[in-house]
Parts: sequence; structure tokens; C-alpha cells
Amino acid sequence: MLKNYLKIAWRNIWKSKGYSFLNIFGLAIGITCVILILLWVEDEVNFDNVFPKQDLVYYVPTNQTFEGEVYTFYSTPGPLAKDLKDEIPEITRAATTWSGEILLKDGDTGINRRGTYVDPDFLDIFSLPFLEGDAQTALNRPDAIVLTKKTSNALFGENSNALNRMVQINGKHNFTVTGIVQDLPQNVTFGFEWLLPIKSFGLGEDDISWAKEYGNNFADTFVELAPDSDFETVDTKVRAMIPSKMSGGNETPNQAFLHSIKDWHLRSDFSEGKIVGGQITFVRLVAFIALIILLIACINFMNLATARSEKRANEVGVRKVLGSSKKGLVYQFMVEALIMASISALLSIVLLLLLLPSFNILVEKQIELQLWDSIHILSLLGITLLCGLLAGWYPALYLSSFRPAQVLKGVRRKQGSATIIRKGLVITQFVVSLVLIISSIIVYQQVQHVRARNVGYEKGKLINISVNGNMIEKFNSIKDDMIASGTIEDIALTNTTMLSSGNNGAGLSWQGGMDTDDVLVRFRYVSPSFFNTVGLEILEGHGFNENISVDSTNILITQSFAELMGSGSAIGKTVMRNDINYNVIGVVNDYLYGDMYGNGKTGPVMFYNEPDYGNTLYVKLDPEVSTTETLNSIEGILKEYNPGFPFEYRFENDLFNARFKTEVLVGELSRIFSILAIIISCLGLFGLAAYTSEQRSKEIGVRKVLGSSISGIIQLLTKDFMRLVFVAILIAIPMAWWVMQNWLESFAYRIEINWWVFLIAGIAAVSIALLTVSFQAIKAAIANPVNSLRSE
Amino acid sequence: MLLKLNNIFKWVQSGGQRIFLLKDINLELEEGEFISVMGPSGSGKSTLLNVIGMLDDFDEGEYHFLDESVHTLKEKHRAKLYKQYIGFVFQSYHLLDDLTVRENLEMPLLYKNYGSSERKAMAADMLDRFNIVGKKDLFPVQLSGGQQQLVGVARALISNPKLILADEPTGNLNSKQSEEIMELFKQLNTEGVTIIQVTHSEKNAAYGRRIIHLLDGRRV
Repeated sequence: MLKNYLKIAWRNIWKSKGYSFLNIFGLAIGITCVILILLWVEDEVNFDNVFPKQDLVYYVPTNQTFEGEVYTFYSTPGPLAKDLKDEIPEITRAATTWSGEILLKDGDTGINRRGTYVDPDFLDIFSLPFLEGDAQTALNRPDAIVLTKKTSNALFGENSNALNRMVQINGKHNFTVTGIVQDLPQNVTFGFEWLLPIKSFGLGEDDISWAKEYGNNFADTFVELAPDSDFETVDTKVRAMIPSKMSGGNETPNQAFLHSIKDWHLRSDFSEGKIVGGQITFVRLVAFIALIILLIACINFMNLATARSEKRANEVGVRKVLGSSKKGLVYQFMVEALIMASISALLSIVLLLLLLPSFNILVEKQIELQLWDSIHILSLLGITLLCGLLAGWYPALYLSSFRPAQVLKGVRRKQGSATIIRKGLVITQFVVSLVLIISSIIVYQQVQHVRARNVGYEKGKLINISVNGNMIEKFNSIKDDMIASGTIEDIALTNTTMLSSGNNGAGLSWQGGMDTDDVLVRFRYVSPSFFNTVGLEILEGHGFNENISVDSTNILITQSFAELMGSGSAIGKTVMRNDINYNVIGVVNDYLYGDMYGNGKTGPVMFYNEPDYGNTLYVKLDPEVSTTETLNSIEGILKEYNPGFPFEYRFENDLFNARFKTEVLVGELSRIFSILAIIISCLGLFGLAAYTSEQRSKEIGVRKVLGSSISGIIQLLTKDFMRLVFVAILIAIPMAWWVMQNWLESFAYRIEINWWVFLIAGIAAVSIALLTVSFQAIKAAIANPVNSLRSE
Repeated sequence: MLLKLNNIFKWVQSGGQRIFLLKDINLELEEGEFISVMGPSGSGKSTLLNVIGMLDDFDEGEYHFLDESVHTLKEKHRAKLYKQYIGFVFQSYHLLDDLTVRENLEMPLLYKNYGSSERKAMAADMLDRFNIVGKKDLFPVQLSGGQQQLVGVARALISNPKLILADEPTGNLNSKQSEEIMELFKQLNTEGVTIIQVTHSEKNAAYGRRIIHLLDGRRV
């Protein structure tokens, strides 16, 4: 019996190759999409899964209160980890860590890499697998360094024994490689390329006692709990730690608390000190979208299958007369649907292999298909089965309920309810497509709007170079040489890149200000040429002196700071910080840092004349000179002063654009999904059109005989479908408006939604639908009426 | 007594009015009979055939088939009955286009759960009997009308039914082909198969021993 089903199923599929291919292909696209999305979701959910102690590892953030609001920072005092471990018995391991970028050198090979200074406990907390060296002792010596395999390869070449070799750090100090660890996968929150002992942090600096005090937050603290500890008890003890170490003060003391490794990636949005969500919302949304796509693809599949049902009605009648049971017929159609679904699944595997590399580039991940993974195989089988059954069930039931007598006589069943469902489906698909089209246009507009925003300085002309070697010592000579080369306009040093919020502090006071204790003020340590280089305009007063000792207690402030000082000019007023009075000698315009979507009211900033603290070199390009020439010139000069160091630079504009990665990604995904949705909707519409013109072939024949023109027939057929599209447009517009308005409201700086966006989307939908339907309509309209009117 | 119809009524509701397809039909049939049902279009001939063949139901009356009261039977039981005892021959043959001649022949046996080799054997016999062995791997579209009808009759016969119902079997055939099919029916009847045929043609009707006339759903 099964063989018979398979034979018939295959022959049927082959007989109408066109439709079958369309159907199989449509389903394959749907399955491919769903799997890509699910792979992405899997990668997100598996973030940090590579570390075995999932139930025991915690990060320690701190809640800090300013002006009555609670902010959560990923920053703790240096001594916290040790005290947590010593004073709380349930905490078995703790590590103070600090991440940054350093220059690693072996002979002439120099590479800049990000990594972390850590306590030795770090290695155990994360159970890092050592490829060479011993985890127990690797970070015991103060001059030890541990590298990842990738970094070791980059520094020493592949297949070389790196153990015990020397590495020069930041051009000054020599360390010995004591271990090589396995590369971390891409989906980890706190990644690193090297590990140094925390004891060597601040090497070469005179005074790092600040790092050992409770008043300063700079470190990332990780802890490991004992297996049976009660989370609430430990968390309470952790929260009490900092207040117990800091005495007095009016301000609310900071509170450290525990953040589970399981939540680092997906649940790290804080508000008023509590977790309110995070990436998980986005991931859930994406998973939901995957489900919708699968549903639509399945329903389409089902639709197209039933569209050809009239042709099969005759066969159903005969089979019933010959003795087939209703169940037998149901099985037969199920088998057909399952065969087609299986072919789709195989096709989708091929599509996946082709598309995965590009997908990885788009979402910046390293996802692998891993077909042999049991979850993956089961999911694929599950989806195939689901589609096949869903798709086969409806036509099976629908067809097998025909009464043989009627069917064999050629009487067509009036299918009122089925057509309504079909129409409803087409409308739904078009609504989804329209919402996606409108969304992608609006997202694109919003991103462009923000990108074009005036940030208050000339980011378009800036090149950002990380300071290394003797750039700071030789800054003045470098500056003279570069300006002399005629390729640049100016260069400056700063300790904070323009986009970053940078360091801040509270507890200052100033003339004309009340309740100043709580206000968060940002600090910047810059060279005198800074303002001219980045393009901040000095609105009042003047800038810094080349002789920095003149400005030992002088500062410049931004306009919003000046406004906090009451009426009158801010020039000459004083600001007190850490018991020192500083004089305001100049006011610059506000500029945008931190949240690029903010409303422009950035907090007060004060600038010190301290180029020695700089870590970033800004170069202002001369627009008259070609960029290549400028870069070559800069490289040449820097290499003169620092021959061993690699020349690495970034355009400030690129750094700015990188801030919108998520939104750009959302925009691209919307675009892709809207194209897919349109394709699927058109398939659905095509199926409906095919079905209807078959149903109405007799009616069309009669109309032609009575004198209707071909265009009249075409109009007749397309009119109904266009009505569906219009209904879809009516539903989609308010829906899209609501969704987009909500999304936009999360940005202080945003566009208004224009009405013509909806117009464009509507026109696009109507044109595409018209194109799809007209094929069927034309075919039906030019058919010979004799064929359809032939009596049985 | 093979079958007996008592006061069979069948109607459809059309906007408050009752339109009768069959009105007070009484019929008795013995095994081995060959009867023709005649009447103008719309007289209910095909409807009557469908009712007898249990492909359609009726609204009033009694129908006894081989001592079973068909009107009291459940759908499943009825299906079993007609599967076992009745074979259908249609005017437009209704062969399955995607199956070869042999596979078409095997269809009724498939639904009766005969084994593969048995089916092959029985089909081979039938092909022999009708002299169409050479055509066994062809598809219906490759045969002429007469050949297709031949296959249709063979298919109706393959499970040895007691009763053959033929709805205008020669309607789509030319005179020569019609004659061949009618001669075949005559011979089958001699061999003991009961036949009820619906026809327009007087010539064909004469092959039967009894002629029943229908007009507007009633026997006249």
C-alpha cells in the first residue's frame, strides 16, 4: 500500500513540475529562514556556556546613587574581591580584574591586543583549559603572561613552542609566557587575548594606591560560590560589604551585588539597580518572528497544495468507488505532502550551506551548521514532519470528504468556508509584508537621521590613534614634525575618546551651584591643542597655555556646566574638587558623547591641561590633502619615533558609525525579511489566483462566449485580489505606525514618521500583487472557452 | 433475490420547494438478470444507479441487498458491502491517468488488501481474458476510447462482483466499439454476472432481458 502511495505521490509531483517546484522552493525558503534564525538564537542563548560552572560564577556590579537615581556600573573597588573571599565563607574564589589594550612585542613583531589583568583565581573560576603550561602556577610569578593560542600564533608564528619565551609589554617591560590557553569561542561576554597577573597592573606608574582604596571604582570583580550556598544569603552579605568599608559621607553608599553568568548576555539592562531585561527581549522577538515565518511558509504550502485540488477530485471519487476508505485517502495525501516537505528540507540544507557564511558576516557571529548535533537533526526532522502533516492534513480532509457520486458527475462543491480561509491567509501575509516594508524604510530613515546629527565637533576630519611607545614624551616634537609635513591641520592628546562617556565623579562644588554633591561631572585630561584639533569652539574666555604649569589649577568647562553656575559669565568662577580650587578660564560648546540617541543635554564636562595622561592621539586631517598621502606621512613620522610599534589608526567617523551597529542590523534584517515576506506572500497569492481561475474557468468560458473582451476578464479576476491587498494595506498601516512609533520612542533623538512612507509601501505592495495575479488572469482570459464548456 | 427496492424516495430542497429525484421507486432483481434502465435526461437514471450502488443515499424507503437492509447500515458497513459485491462501469471510464493499465486493474484488489503477487496474478488473468496483455504498461491517455472502456470493464470485474452497474457504458464510443462492449456484457451475463445498465440507445437496451422506463423520477 505504501509503495502505491509513494508511486502515485511521485508521479503527481512530477506531472505538475512547475507548481511542485514553486511549492517546494517556497517551503525550502521558509525552512532555511527559520533555521538561520534559530541558529542565531541558539548562539545567543549559549553565550558564556563554554564555562562549566554555570551555577556558581557571578560578576559583581555596583549600584551607585546620583541625584536620587540609581545607576548600575560594571566597576568595583580594587580591594573588594579579596575582602569578599576572606569575609564571606560561601565565596570560595574571587578575582579582581582589569581589561585593557596593550602592545605585545617579540623582536620585530608587534601586535595590539585586548586582554585582562587577573587574580590567579580567575583561571579556576572559568576553568580555562591550558594547552601548554600549568593552570595552578601560571600566574604566580609577577612577570608571567598567559596567551590564547590565536595570540601566540600571531606573535610567535604557528606551531612554535611559546612556553617560556619572552614578550615585551608596551615597549617597556619583559614578561615570560607561562601558559597557552584554548581560544575562547566568539559568544563570550568577557573575552580576552592575554592574561597578566593583577599584581603587575600599574607597572611603571608611581602611585597606584588609588587602586587599593574603596572610594575608587575601576575593576571588574568575579566570584565563585560554593555549590550548596543560598543565593539570597550570599547576595545580602555582598551588598553589605562596601557600606561596611566606607565610613560617613552624606551620599548613599554604593552597593555591590551578584550577577549570574547565566544572565550576563541576555539580562543585563538595569534600572534603579534591578534587572529589567536586556538582550533577551530582542532574542525572544526574533524567535517569535521565526515562528511566524514558519507558520506562513507552512500555510502557503498547504494553500498551493489545495489549489490544485479540483484536478484531484475526480481521482478521489474513483478511488472511493473502487473501495478506498476515507482514511486511506487521507494517508495518500499525507504521504504526498511529506514527500514534498522532505525534498524541501533537503533543499534547505543546501541553501543553508550556501548562505551561512554571508549570514555570519551579517550578524558577526561564527555559527556552524553542525548537522550531526542531535538537537539540530531533531529540529529539522520535527519541522519537516510538522510542515508535511500541517500541509497534508487540510487537503487530505478536504478532498476525502467529497461524495463520489457528485464528484464523478462533475458537480463542483461550493467551497465557501475554504475560500474565506484562503483569502484571510493572503491578507495576513500581505499585512506582514507591508509592516516589514514600512519598518525597514523607517528604521533606515532613523539611522540616517542620527548619523547625520551634529555632534558638536568635527568628527569627519579626525583620525584616532592609540598612544603607545614614547608618543607622550615626544609629543611636542611629533606635533611639530607633523604640522611641518603640511598634511594635517593639528594634533592633540586626550585621555578619553570623543565618543566615550569617560571618567566621572561627584562630590564637587562650585560657585553659584547648590546641591552640587550629587551631580555627576565628567573629566577630560587633554593637551592645549585639543580644542582646535577636535573642533570644539571656545565660546567665552580662552584655551590652555602651551606651558602647562601655567594651567595647573585652570580648567575649561562645557556650556551646560556654565549654566549650572547661575547667572553671569562663568569665566573666573571656581570649582572645587578634592579640596583644590580650579579657575574657569574658558567655556566650550556642549558635544555629544555616550548615548548617541540622547537628547543633546549631555552632563557637565571639565577639561584639565594634562597631556601626560593621554591615551589617544587625535589628528585633524587637512581636507586639501589626499587621505592616503596624509596616512603615509603620519605613519612615517610615528615610525621614526617608535620604530618597533605597529601603526594602527581608526577614523573617528567609523567609530561613530559603529555605535549604530544594532540599529543598522535591525534595518538590514527588516529589509531582508520584508523581501522574504513579499516572496512568500506572492507565492500565496499565486496559489490563490491559480485556484480561483480554475474554479471559475467555466464562468470565464461563458462570459467570453457572451461577448466579454479579454481585458474585461482580466479586470474581473484581478479586481477581487486587489481588494484583498487594499484590506491588507488598511490593516497594516496603523499596525506599522504603532510598532514604529514605539520603537522610535526609545530614542530621544528621532525622526517623525512621514505619511509618504505608507504611500510608497502601499504602491509597492499593489504593483507586486498585480504582477503576480496578472499571470494567472491572462492565462485564464486567453483560454479557449470551448475547452472549459465541454460537457462531461 | 439479489436486491429489492421498496418505495424509494429521494429529493432535494430548493428554496422551500421539494424537488424529487426519485419518486416511489419499487424494484426487484434476481441474480443473473440483465436489465436496462431507460429514460430522457433528468429522469433519474443515474441517480437510481448510484442509490443501488450505495454511492448515494435516499430519503425514504427501504433497500435490501442480499438480505441486508442497506438503509439501516452504517457508512463503513455499506462501503464493505458494495466493495465486495458491486462493480461500476462509467461513461467516461474514470481510469486513473497516472497509473498504467495493469495498476488501474489492480486498484480494487489493493483496497481489498490482496497481497502483491496475488494482485499481479489476478491482473494478468484479466489482461489475458480481454486480450490486452500488450497494453499493460501503457497509460490511459495512450489508449483509444474503446480500449479504455475495456479496461474499465475489466477493472469492474477483477474482484468477481455479483453485480455490475454500468452508467451509459457506450456513451463515448463509436458504433463498432459499442457493439464490442455490449457483446462482452452479454457474454458476462451468460457466465452468471448480474448487470444493470443505464442507456439512451434502444439498440443497447435490447441486450437486456427487461427494460425499465423512468420519467421524472418515477417508474412508468
